Amino acid sequence: MTQLSPTTTTAPAPDRPVERTRTRRGRAGRRPRVLVAVTALFFALLYLPIAVVTLFSFNSQKSLTVFDGFSLRWYRAFVHDDVLISSLGTSLRISLVATAGSVVLGGALALGLVRSRTRLGSLAGLIMLVPLITPEIVTGVASMLLFKGLGVTLSTGTVMLSEITFSLSYVTVILRSRVAALNPEVEEAAMDLGATRWQAVRLVTLPALLPAVLASAVLIFALVFDDFVLAYFTTGVDPQPLSVRIYSAIRFGVQPTINAVGTLMLAGSIGLIALALFIPRLFGRRGGLDILSGS
Amino acid sequence: MDATHAVRLDGVSKRFADSYAVHDLNLDIEAGRFFSLLGPSGCGKTTSLRMIGGFTDPTEGSVLLAGEDVTALPPDKRNVNTVFQSYALFDHLSIADNVAFGLKRKGVQKAEIRRRVGEMLELVQLDGFAARRPRTLSGGQRQRVALARALVNRPAVLLLDEPLAALDLKLRRQMQVELKQIQREVGITFVFVTHDQDEALTMSDRICVMNEGRVEQCGTPEDVYEHPASRFVASFMGTSNLMTGTYRDGTVTLDQGPALPVGPRTAIADGTAVSVSVRPEKVWLSDFEPGMSMQRGVIRETVYSGPTTTYLIELAPGVTLSVLEQNTARARMEDRWSGGETVEFGWRPEHCLVLA
Amino acid sequence: MTPPRHPARSRRRGPDASGARIWTWFMLPGTLWMAAFLIASLALVAVLTVGTTDELGNPRFGFDLAGVRALADPAYTEVLARSLGYALLTCVICLLIAYPVAYTIALYGGRWKHALIAAIVVPFFANYLVRMYGWSVVLSDDGPLLRALRAVGLADEGTKILNTGFGVIAGLVYGFVVFMIIPLYAALERLDVSLIEAGRDLYGGPVRTFLFVTLPATRQGAAAGLVLVFLPAMGDFVSAQLMGGPDQIMIGNLIQDKFFQGQNWPLGSALTMLLMLVLLVGMLGYLRRTRKDEAEARR
Repeated sequence: MTQLSPTTTTAPAPDRPVERTRTRRGRAGRRPRVLVAVTALFFALLYLPIAVVTLFSFNSQKSLTVFDGFSLRWYRAFVHDDVLISSLGTSLRISLVATAGSVVLGGALALGLVRSRTRLGSLAGLIMLVPLITPEIVTGVASMLLFKGLGVTLSTGTVMLSEITFSLSYVTVILRSRVAALNPEVEEAAMDLGATRWQAVRLVTLPALLPAVLASAVLIFALVFDDFVLAYFTTGVDPQPLSVRIYSAIRFGVQPTINAVGTLMLAGSIGLIALALFIPRLFGRRGGLDILSGS
Repeated sequence: MDATHAVRLDGVSKRFADSYAVHDLNLDIEAGRFFSLLGPSGCGKTTSLRMIGGFTDPTEGSVLLAGEDVTALPPDKRNVNTVFQSYALFDHLSIADNVAFGLKRKGVQKAEIRRRVGEMLELVQLDGFAARRPRTLSGGQRQRVALARALVNRPAVLLLDEPLAALDLKLRRQMQVELKQIQREVGITFVFVTHDQDEALTMSDRICVMNEGRVEQCGTPEDVYEHPASRFVASFMGTSNLMTGTYRDGTVTLDQGPALPVGPRTAIADGTAVSVSVRPEKVWLSDFEPGMSMQRGVIRETVYSGPTTTYLIELAPGVTLSVLEQNTARARMEDRWSGGETVEFGWRPEHCLVLA
Repeated sequence: MTPPRHPARSRRRGPDASGARIWTWFMLPGTLWMAAFLIASLALVAVLTVGTTDELGNPRFGFDLAGVRALADPAYTEVLARSLGYALLTCVICLLIAYPVAYTIALYGGRWKHALIAAIVVPFFANYLVRMYGWSVVLSDDGPLLRALRAVGLADEGTKILNTGFGVIAGLVYGFVVFMIIPLYAALERLDVSLIEAGRDLYGGPVRTFLFVTLPATRQGAAAGLVLVFLPAMGDFVSAQLMGGPDQIMIGNLIQDKFFQGQNWPLGSALTMLLMLVLLVGMLGYLRRTRKDEAEARR
């Protein structure tokens, strides 16, 4: 919904040295101390919970308030916990399927939405926005009711279907802005040079979109893996996705193993999201936060 | 069917929503010519070009290439190629692969492709750039790649949509000359869309001036410039001193100001309201010839711009003419007029054009 | 010899039209998918609002207004009012926190600003549950925050954050403040510094410049942020569960309860529709606001 385009990093333009020195120093002169202090405090509070979880995942004791010494016992406990490990596998399967499904469907949809000027197009464009303005709990309730209403037993499969639905709109919104930014003349040029419409898409448009497609795939993988609301409403009893297990665990008293799992999940998703931001740069395109702007 | 016509537009119209982008356009473009569609933005020139290329469907009428009706054919089935305004290069392919794209689609043999791509890159002076990516090239170089990519297919007609618009002035001038040379060398019909009248005048064999979806005038550059058929053409092509008045008996009496002799016109009835146009460079300020239409006015402004000096001369209250004088080797500083002086000036009667 | 005219050409499909059809095929699978899974399921929620449940917990369709009527129960209206209050307070607090942070990064971040904003955004998109869990540990009675506050004398032994309304709001703020920072940062980034300089020139003081130049220029970013925070905050149930007690439950907790423990699906559906209604009103208010702003900008 929000545009983040100004935050994208473009290659530094080799122009106007005056401008550059000014940017370095800050755009409006000296930094007011109060603002800097507030920002610093914000960063501290932002990272404190993450730091606490990480720190205590290495605690040798069960306590969440006293750090007794470094140990890997909770990681070992996690590795030997068959339930959690099988949940991890379930989550990975769900993420893979949801990513593949939503990127294929959403990519095609984004192309169609931008290029087609039919009424179906504008209707589909509106439908795409619905999940983004609906709280996940509503989507979760609705999905569960749909499956129950159809007499489908909740399982890993139903989680996959709901996750595709939610991710689909996400992928579409991200890729749609990328497709819109493509120069339509490039596709016309391919057709001008003898490519059919389909060949033009395959030989020219898809390669141009590849970085954005890869980036959104990585991002969706992370988001689906982390998601728990939809999974919570649509999962069966066994096996359950990892995030649902964590939810149950932290609701009913703290188990230090969760610190270890949580640390691993945070590290994994932070790594993936950072990778998603970085992918376009590998292709020499502008990379940046605008991939997240569909939220 | 006249096969020397490379392109023929027959009663072509394009309607968007409820307005016409192009209205009942009839065009014949002879083979081997450098043909320009000239007009302000929104005049329908690009739409016309896109209909020839197959990117836009005409609402009415047909498009013929070498006598064959191609109205219903998609772009890939037409023997034309386009140089796009944005160049539309394929960023993920090397320069050589960009140029080879069309030949690969046609299934030309590999060795043949390599030979023709090499030749073409040489023609546009980009040999040595084959392995580079489009992003690493300058605007002028990218423009050449776009040209090479289109020409390598040896199309019957090459369509160029304001290909020089993105270049700076100096480079544009240089490319104008080069483009014209290349056109002569390959002998392919060029259909060139531009809003820059200088560009059209310097490069074209024929120019069609368009306005609001209609053709105003077609002809050689000299025709269009020297004998504009309408007020619009006169004002769009270069600078014109346009004045309004009433025609009677071989003279036009200006609404405000003197009567100007224009010679008898059989096509115009006495009492018709007309416009007259005199080009600034057709006005003489000295060394008058017998038979000239002589006027008197007050210099209001002197604008020196290097090779020329422009005078704004008030002919009558509210009627100011722009007059251009060459600053040739013989012209001297002290001979230049300054503001407030009353001067005599004149023009040959045939240079005072009557526009209905 | 002129070729024959075809005045009725317009009916014939040219290359353009056939090209347009291919895009419809591109759209079709995704659109059908969304229609089947999203629109149909939301419609089902609406239908079940007036339905019943059989003894196995499966939805039954019918026309029974019991679920809708139950909404008038003061127990539920109280929760709705509390949820609204929490969500709105969360919005205000997020705005108060996000503005200085976004301002500092956008205007004084220099070459580090992309890195700084990424450092905020990236962890926010990482696992929500684990972050909230960590936050609840930080806010706990023995947690680092209260211990620090006690050490400097800002809190005493009895001070609690968890199991209070303040704790729930703290959770919501921590969960969603990034949605305020992103649009504000974007607006401030776009802001032309020369505007601020001109403001200093015309108005003099930095406070007046901020009030008359910076703030109006970022109003739309703030409005977008308010909506982006309000939507998830209103529907959240994790924060109330982890940071609040039984007296701090929100509408999300009620919905969860009706579907999982209470097994009263019609009432759950009715609550869900009520939640959607509140959000819809918020969205429409926002859209009207931005339309008005855009209309003014055009004038």
